[in-house]
Order: sequence, then C-alpha cells, then structure tokens
Amino acid sequence: MRLWHILRSRLRSIAFRDRRELDLSEELQLHLERETERLQAGGLSREEARLHALRLFGGVEQIKEASRDARGTATWDALVRDTRQGLRRLVRDWRFTTAAVLILALAIGANTAIFSVVNAVLFRRHAVADPDRLVNIYQNGRAGTPLVVTAYSTYMEIAEYTDIFATTMAASVPNPIRYLADGAVRDAVVEYATADYLDTLGLRPSLGRWFDETEVRPGAPLVAVLGHQTWNRRFRADPSIIGRIIRIEGLPVTIVGIGPANHRATFDVGLVTDFWLPMTAIPPMMPRPGRRDTPTIFAPLFVKARLRDGVTVSQARAAMDGLGRRLEAEHPELFRAEGEFALGPGMTVLPSTDVRIHPAADTPFMAIASLVLVIVGLVLAIACSNLATLLLVRGAARAREVSVRLAMGATRRQLVRHLLIESLLLSLAGGVAGCVLAWWGMRALQRVDFPFRVDLTVDYRVLAFAIALSLVTGIVFGLAPALKATRVDLLTTLRDEGLQPVDHRRLTLKNALIVFQVAVSVLLLGGTSIFLQAAAAGRALRVGYAVDGVAMLETDLRFAGYSESEASRVFDELLGRIRAIPGVESAALLRGLPMEVNGVAIVVDSGDGQPGSTLEAAAITAAPGFFDTLRIPLLHGRVFDVRDRADAPRVAVITERMARQYFGAVNAVGRRFRSPNDPNSWTAVIGVVHDTGTGDFDDDVLDPVGPVFYTSYIQSGALPTTVIARTFGEAAPLVAAMQRELRAIDITLPVMTAQTMAQKLAGSLAIPNGIATLFGALGGLGLVLASIGLYAVVAFTVARRSREIGIRMALGARSQQVVWSIARGVAGLTGFGTGIGLVLLVLVMLVMRAGGGSADIGIGSVTVYRPSIDPVGLLAIAAVTALVGVAAAFGPARRAARMHPLVALRHE
Amino acid sequence: MSDQTDVLQGTLDLLIMRTLALEPMHGWAIAQRIQQTSDELLRVQQGSLYPALHRLEHQGWIKAEWGASENNRRARFYSLTKAGRKQVEAELEKWERLSTGVNLLLQRT
Repeated sequence: MRLWHILRSRLRSIAFRDRRELDLSEELQLHLERETERLQAGGLSREEARLHALRLFGGVEQIKEASRDARGTATWDALVRDTRQGLRRLVRDWRFTTAAVLILALAIGANTAIFSVVNAVLFRRHAVADPDRLVNIYQNGRAGTPLVVTAYSTYMEIAEYTDIFATTMAASVPNPIRYLADGAVRDAVVEYATADYLDTLGLRPSLGRWFDETEVRPGAPLVAVLGHQTWNRRFRADPSIIGRIIRIEGLPVTIVGIGPANHRATFDVGLVTDFWLPMTAIPPMMPRPGRRDTPTIFAPLFVKARLRDGVTVSQARAAMDGLGRRLEAEHPELFRAEGEFALGPGMTVLPSTDVRIHPAADTPFMAIASLVLVIVGLVLAIACSNLATLLLVRGAARAREVSVRLAMGATRRQLVRHLLIESLLLSLAGGVAGCVLAWWGMRALQRVDFPFRVDLTVDYRVLAFAIALSLVTGIVFGLAPALKATRVDLLTTLRDEGLQPVDHRRLTLKNALIVFQVAVSVLLLGGTSIFLQAAAAGRALRVGYAVDGVAMLETDLRFAGYSESEASRVFDELLGRIRAIPGVESAALLRGLPMEVNGVAIVVDSGDGQPGSTLEAAAITAAPGFFDTLRIPLLHGRVFDVRDRADAPRVAVITERMARQYFGAVNAVGRRFRSPNDPNSWTAVIGVVHDTGTGDFDDDVLDPVGPVFYTSYIQSGALPTTVIARTFGEAAPLVAAMQRELRAIDITLPVMTAQTMAQKLAGSLAIPNGIATLFGALGGLGLVLASIGLYAVVAFTVARRSREIGIRMALGARSQQVVWSIARGVAGLTGFGTGIGLVLLVLVMLVMRAGGGSADIGIGSVTVYRPSIDPVGLLAIAAVTALVGVAAAFGPARRAARMHPLVALRHE
Repeated sequence: MSDQTDVLQGTLDLLIMRTLALEPMHGWAIAQRIQQTSDELLRVQQGSLYPALHRLEHQGWIKAEWGASENNRRARFYSLTKAGRKQVEAELEKWERLSTGVNLLLQRT
C-alpha cells in the first residue's frame, strides 16, 4: 500500500514535472508574502519587510532543489539532464564518438556472433511437451557409462516395456543425403525415425502427418516428413508439397507432412534436420556401398521414451537395468567384443531435461564453448581497455572543464555520474551497432550453401547477452576513468596548465591498459600461427598418390530416372568417352569420392582358429583401374580386376602399414579378416600397396584413423557414381571436358561433384584454415584496437608535453631527440606487452604439447594438434606488433618534433 | 531571536505532523504555529520546512490540497492522512521514550 503510494507519487512527479515546478514556486511565493505581511504588521516598511523576509528565507532555489530531492525525483531529473548533455557532448566530439562506437561495435559484434552459435548449440531449449516426463535411454559401454548410440535390437526390447513407457521412439544420428529440388542436387541432413517419433516428443506436425506403422515396414513405398525450416527455406512454405514426390538419393519419396515449427532435430545442437524418413529407408538410402547391406540393427540410434503416468524415472531405471542384465545373458558375445559396440553393464536412463547433447559430452562441450567465448572475450577485453584508455585521455583533456564544474559547486558524485552516463551511452551505442554487425554477419553466413545448417536465429538470450555486455562494458570501463578524471587538483588545473609537472611514473593505469592490449593481441596472433601451422602440417603430409592432373566427376543416375542396367551402360559409355579425351592417361569408375576414409572395426584371422580381437581400421572404396589412375604403387600380389565381381569371394587390397601392424608381415597376401558383426564376412587380402596419406588431411593431423585397406565398390553390388581420370596436362580443363562428355550423353544428368584432386585436398583443410582465419581476424582486430589505444596515448602525451618539448627545442634540442624521447616510452610499453604475450603464448603451446595426442570429449576423442615452438614464427609476431606500435606512435611524435618552439610554448 | 532554537533534525517531521493533527494548514502557517505554540522557543527554517513537507507527502503521511489562504490567495493546505495519524502516535511514543531517557541520563550524571 505504502509502496504503491510512493510509486504513484513518484510517477506523478515525473509525469507532471512542469506543473509541479510551478506549484512549488507558487507555494514558496505565498510564504514570502505572508512573512512580509507579518513583518509589516510589526512596523517595518513594505520594502524593508520584503528584504528581511527574503533574507530570513534563504536561497529560494536551494529550497526548491531540496524539495525536489525530498520527492525522490531529483535523481531522475539529473539523469535526464545528464543524458541530454552527454548526447550533445558525444555529437560534438563526433570523431571520438565514432572511434569508440566502432571499437565497441566490432568487439561486441564478434562476441554476440560467437555467442549466438554457442547459444544455438548449447543453450536453446528443445521444444518438447512435458520434457521432465521424457527420458533418454542409453546402452552402457564397457566402462558402465552411456554409449553414444543404441542398437535397433535394443530399441525393440525397450519398446516392449509398455507398462513403464507410454510411447518409445528411436531416431538415427543425422546422416548426409542428397536430393533434387528446382533442378539442382542439394545436400541435406536426414534422420531415420520410428512411427512413434512425434507422439513420444509430444509434438504435432505443422502440416500433413507423420509416417504411420505401415510405412515403416520393409519394402513399403518411401515417404518422408520435411523439416519446417527447410520447407520455408527451400520450398517457400508451399503447402502443396504434401503428397508431392521428390527424389532423395535418386529414389522417389512422397512427402507426407511438415515437421513441427520449432523442432529442429532430435540431436539438438543447432543443426537443422531437413528430412525424417522411416527407419526402413536406411538400406536403400545408404550412400556407402560397404554399408548398403548393413542390417538396420546396426544403425546408430538415439532412444527416447515418454513415461507412463505415475511411473518415476527411478522405476524406469530399474526396469532398464533388468533389461541390460537380460541382454548380457542372452548375447554374451556382444558383451565380450571390443571396439565400437562393446557393451557393458546396465543401461542409463535420464530425464531429457538433464541432457543437452549426451550425458558424457555435455561437460566437455561446455568447456569448449567457454574456451571459445574466452577467446572472443579477449577481443572484447582489448576493446574495453581501449575505450578506457580513450576515456582516460579524454578525461585528462577535460581536466579544466571538470575543475570548473567542481569550483562551481558540483559534487564529485554528480560529476562521476555525468561521466559514467557518457560512457554508458557510448557502450550502448556500440552494443546496438555490434548487434547490427553480428546480425548482418550471420545473415551473410546463412546465405552460404553449407551441406548442413545451424539455426542461428537471434533470440532473447543473444540480445540479453549483447545488452549485458554493453552495460558492463560501460560501467566497468567507464568508472575508473571517471573516478580518475574527477580527482583533480583544483588550483593547478585552473591556473595555466603550463607548469603542471610531467608524469614520469611508469605504472599508470593507461600504461597497464596498453601493455594488456598488446599482450592479448600477441596471444591471439599466436593462436593464428598455431592453426596455420596445423594446416601447413596437413599440406606437407606425404600424400602418396597422384594429385596433379587428377580430376573427378560425380553424378547420380537415379536422379535422372535410369534403371540399374541402363545406368551401368551409361557409365561404361562415359568412361570410354573420358578415356578418349586427348591427354587422358588413365581413368576409372568409382563409387563416392576418391580416398575418402570410413572408419570400421575388423577381426583379423590369426590362423590358429582363436577368435581374434576387434581392431580399428579404415576402409577406402576403390575399383579396377583405381591404383593406376592415382599412381599408388603395388608391393605384393595384385590389385582389383574383372575377376572381382559381386558374386566372387570378397577381396581387399591392404596398405603396407596394415600388413605390418595386423598381419605381422609386409606380404600378407592370402591372409583374411572380417567384420566383427558377421562371422561369415571373410575378406581375403589379394595385394599390398604403398602407404598413402588419406583423402582428408585433417583425418591425419587432427583425427588419425586406423590402418587403411581398400575394397572394390563392384563387390558390394552397387552402381558407380564417379569417374576419376588423370591427364598429362592441367587438371582444371579436364574437369570441364569431363562435364561436357557427361552432358553429351544426357543433358539431364546432374553433376554432383566436379573438381580436381587438388581442390578436394584444399577442401579437407577448410577447418584448420577456417579456424586460422578466425584467429587471424581476431588477432588483427586486437592489434588494430591496441594501435588505436597507443596512438591516443602518444598523442595525448605529446599534447601534455608540448610546452616541455617547446622549451627543449628552444634550448637547442634536435627533432630526432624529441622523437626519440617519445618513442622510448612507446617502445617500452610495446616491448613489455609483447614480452608478456609471448611468454603466455609459449605456455599455451607447452600445455598443448603436453596434453597433445587426444582429448576425450565424451562422445569420442579429438586429436589435439601439437604445435612446435617455432622461434621464427614468434619473432615474426613480435616484429609485427612492434611495427604496429611504432606506426601508431610515429604520427603524433613527428607532429611534436615539427612544432615550432614558439607555438609549442604557447600551446595550452 | 538569539534564544530561539533551530528545530532538531528528525523531530521536525513529528512537529509538523502534530501541528497538522489539529487542522489542515499551509506552509507558512505551520511554521508560525510551531513558533507560537512553543512560546517562540522553536524556530522552523524555511529551508527545512518545505523539503520536509514534500518528503512527508511523498511518503504518504500527509496530503496536500489547494485552497484559499487568509489573505485569499491560492495556497497548498496540508492535512494528515490515515497512515499519518498512526505515524504520529508511533513517533510520539518514540519521542517520549527518548526524552525520558535523555532527561534521566542528564539528571543522574
């Protein structure tokens, strides 16, 4: 009640400010009159009485001010006044304002952009009904911790527990896929799901329906549900898409519905799923020949279930543990196996609200995200300390104004408030500009046609982040300069500034800020160099196969509606035509792209009848003519030829490394290995070839795979998709010639990939290159910011010392000496900052080397690159930093040296 | 005038409200009334009177209305609100305890 009253009174005072002012004047006026009348009655003349009353009364304005204060609106009024004044001032100093807003916009923009990615991956909540009644179920691995995925057979068992779960669903990990739309073949992400998928999540399709039980039976006509975002983006939200047939992986698929509007994917890390297909569509859709005939059982799945009313999570957990024990008793072989599918005791059941990505991966992902945020945070820190430097310099330049205000009776509190409001206005303007920058940057990024898409929409979290960032920036980095600016010695400042002693202290706030900025820039540049090193290391790897003159062309005849027999005829014709292109030395048909590795588990026949253990290996798809075209030398045995048909015994060509590591001899011809999942899948070794780097450089540098072996796509019974060819001449014209030949056969055949081997290799370096570019941009940004700060400080010092410089020059100092005396200070600061930065950088590198090898991120491990501490690189970074520092100091120092002594002496 | 005492900070609110308990009054009249009732012993500075009035109004203990003054001018008349009356009781009690305490202390030492 009282609170309400105060609030109302305050609101009214604010709303009726002008009337209140008049009322107050009138009230005081009346008082004066009554007092005058009283004194007149006491015998004074009217004039005397009025003067006396006024004297008794005291300062009318002061009373007004105090009365306003009593209403609690004074602060508000002052805020409005200060804001108005601050705005005027910032508009007047538009050069300073532009610089400051730009600095902040770049830093806040970069932070907001990165945060929106982190937000999409880690924070944005899944749109699921009653998320606490939804549980995630994981099969446990050997260590008793949840595996990443669960087998289909286990899902079927889980779905039997209808007394615990109302509904149970499974969805595959996201798979890359290609589909035809608007005459172009596009990359997309697909999930294979069960019929209960949407009911379990408690969601409804935004249009049409989900696929039903009859459509998830093997052999049923293919149907798909289109993701809502893809529907909007690719199909312009056209409702007539329902019932239409589109070609996915060349196969006709009927669209039966559109997914829920705010549901992006099962595995919600911001990636957008384009299509949901029934689980039974996996075999026909599998693009990899080796996996085409893989039973659905081994499709990696996520399993979620909705608890029945009244069932608790711990009851579900107990039931699932029982299931885990039963499975262990029924399938002991699965629990003995090693590698990818090594099962362990029990199952893990967690409410979906407790899991973001995967129970074991959430913490490492958070850590990675925090690291990324810390790195961009460093840029923000530079920008903020820069703003603080600028404000300090500006504050010192305004010392006279401040002292006049103090002399006129302003309190220090009022002044600090005034200055703080100015810096807040600056940082808010910077924040707004930063948001615009981030929004613009992300729009540009979204327009790029990546094979996958991250949902980067700016939501309230991103906006709140940006606003909080600007406010904190404004307050924290405006406060110190404001406090410093108001701590002035009134007398000295008000007198002519000329005699003010020069500040020779080394440890000032300004200097510390500059040193900090330089050090962080060096650190960021160091990050750039580490990733450039990683990329260069990838490039420098021994490739081991032909790159120059090699070109590839990938198509998919299913998109043009060819039957299998027609398709193989078309490919034979295409191969013949390409071989006939002048300059082509060798060409071969292939499925998929050359040298792409596929990690697999194998069991090696030890020859003594003992069941071998499961080993990691990597398969590459090859074909007859493949080794010749890519010039991979054969060491023993033979390579694939016409004998290795689909109905012939399975054979493989292995690498030297695999022969040595898994068979104990380089000549392993005649030995055999199999898949751990199928005891009858023996594959015989027919040849051993020289080791190569694999197709993906980053697989080697950042993510090494097991020893490599080659299989022929023909033996998997699949059709070819690609022609590879090698020419005497340049590869680029060959790519064009190959496309011409394809079009000559049938103009409707889609070109899925047409590139040179060199381009493919460059593409595989995209990630380290991209990260290096990001770091380089951040480091460059930091350096530019730091140089602005240096420039400001030097310019300010010169201005402060102009009188001293004038005296020196009048006494005969030469301009070089003047420049030197200024440069010395800058060199000291830059050198100190660079030194600190380099020490930190070497520490980071040492930590990376020590922890090098691999880092577990819960759902697998990533290999951490081990940087070499390269003195030349470190020197280069130091040199760049020093150069930038000197360049920043040069302008103002030169100006000082050129000053005419007389002008300098008169300079205020 | 030299034997007049400026009203103690903090007791002014109580004096104003006690005065207003009799009848609604405008600012000048309040000052006069306090001065007269205290046999000219207490003097209210205008510099503290008006801020105090506005503060009390802001806190909801007194309210102001425009009315005609003795010399037929527009004047702001202040009166106690319901909450104000309760506040006067509480303040009086507090004041009595305080003055008794102070008196006792001064007499016994």
